[in-house]
Amino acid sequence: MSSFKLFVLLFPSIFLAQEPLAQLTTPTSPAAALLDLNPTVTLAPKSYQALETALYSNFVNSNNETVIPTDFALEFTPYWTKNHGLSITEYLYPENLGTQLLRSSSVSIASTQNFVLGDSTSTNALGIGYRASFFFPNKKDKAIVEKSIGEIRNDFNLKNEIRAPAILFLEINPEASKADFLKEIMPTVISEINKSKHFSDPEELQKFLNKFEAELLALPEITPATKDAFLDQFSQILDQEYQTYRLISNFEEYLTRRQGLTLDIGLATLLNFPDNTFEFSYVPKSSLWITPSYRFTNNFDFLKALGVFRYEWYHDTYYDRYFPDTFVFKNNLDYGISIISEFKRFSLQFELIGRHSSSEISIATDDFGNDLFRKETKSDLQYTGNFSYNVTDGIILTYTLGSRFKTIFEPKNTLISLLALNFGFGAPTTNDIALNKK
Amino acid sequence: MRKTYRYRDLDFPVDDATEVKLTVEFLSDGGIAETLIYRSIGNNPKISDSGTELIGTGAELRGKITICITEATNSNLNEDEIRVRYLLNDTLMVEHHNLKSEEINPTIILFLKFPMP
Repeated sequence: MSSFKLFVLLFPSIFLAQEPLAQLTTPTSPAAALLDLNPTVTLAPKSYQALETALYSNFVNSNNETVIPTDFALEFTPYWTKNHGLSITEYLYPENLGTQLLRSSSVSIASTQNFVLGDSTSTNALGIGYRASFFFPNKKDKAIVEKSIGEIRNDFNLKNEIRAPAILFLEINPEASKADFLKEIMPTVISEINKSKHFSDPEELQKFLNKFEAELLALPEITPATKDAFLDQFSQILDQEYQTYRLISNFEEYLTRRQGLTLDIGLATLLNFPDNTFEFSYVPKSSLWITPSYRFTNNFDFLKALGVFRYEWYHDTYYDRYFPDTFVFKNNLDYGISIISEFKRFSLQFELIGRHSSSEISIATDDFGNDLFRKETKSDLQYTGNFSYNVTDGIILTYTLGSRFKTIFEPKNTLISLLALNFGFGAPTTNDIALNKK
Repeated sequence: MRKTYRYRDLDFPVDDATEVKLTVEFLSDGGIAETLIYRSIGNNPKISDSGTELIGTGAELRGKITICITEATNSNLNEDEIRVRYLLNDTLMVEHHNLKSEEINPTIILFLKFPMP
């Protein structure tokens, strides 16, 4: 049985009861990154889900047996768990950086039971992270958004102007026939469609009106019991010509690829429990990320470039105690670039990161008892490629392959080969249904 | 076929002289909506997204059906529902709610009547 099939069997409800959700991105929560559960250095912008979880595992143990993962990450965006009544403009263009900070702030937590110390003891470790994202739209973005919303509003107004008199007519005249209905409504249809300037060619307009009338005539005769069904069919014929859903779906697609600069910041700290008791813990390392990213425009809108700056601080006393045979640099600065190309259901990411590490090492004590230090520096390189596939809109499968920075415990073991699953959950809803809903 | 949500038999007792204001209030974030309040007497007010419009006095509205029709969508990628309230003179008449997975572009229709108190 494949690992993936096993997962489907373990969590069938996730696959069977999926509601379409906004597409997720590759899992990269700050907390998971700090635990090295996610090997890439780039902290890609978070997806739009209020709650995400990720399981990191190859789903097989050393005996090639399938196993339930012990490493997981969870990321939570508090702002989007409740409604605020924002208009589309307020949503897309927050008035200041403080508002952006509030809306995009997310907290992540990651856990592993396999944080291996220098003496090969497996311990528990917890990563706690925070991140926020700032978006700076360009002029083209504003023009595209304004045009898209305008087109949707025009369609909505046209449909309301045609549908409202049709509904009222059948409410007042429940015994009206199809012929009566057509006689009453067609002048409104013609007038509103003329006003909408949807047809530039009069012949095309006439062709549409003929087709519209013919399709209405082909519907079953109206009765008081079927007038709502008739009006729904009437709307559907109108929808076939005015395909607002296409405008809506194009707009939504654009919003996932908005043109402009995004700046992500992330902070995370690691908590280790060396003897697996809650009362005794260390903070071995902390990280700070700054990730600027830019979405290309026009023919290259599938490409996104990300810059990577990460500062990692290591607690040297902790590593001296639990990794006595190793040397850990206290300060590590990672820098590099990442290119992401996104297609319909899959994406490819390549990352090339350099590392500059430095530490001050105590070498002696002078005659006055002062410690003397020597500065040690080192450079390293990490390169990875990953492939992500959206199994459904709420589930993403990611495989990463590459060479990582030399690890503290096993410096020769630089191979990255990791499979990850990421799940997205929308904001919780209260299913209170209006009493008058029919 | 797109879903239409109909709310019938919505009575709002009102005196002849009282002015009636209809409020559309979107609670979900980032929606796009156009509402038309349609009466057979003409001069039909419109509301873009959320807002309040005077729809007439009790005497003008009496004995007729007033249709309030909203075409809505929600392109907020963080939002998974469409939730909107309709109020007459600050009195809640309907709170409509549907998941976007159920219908991303719903039509919401209210059938309003204004009898004597």
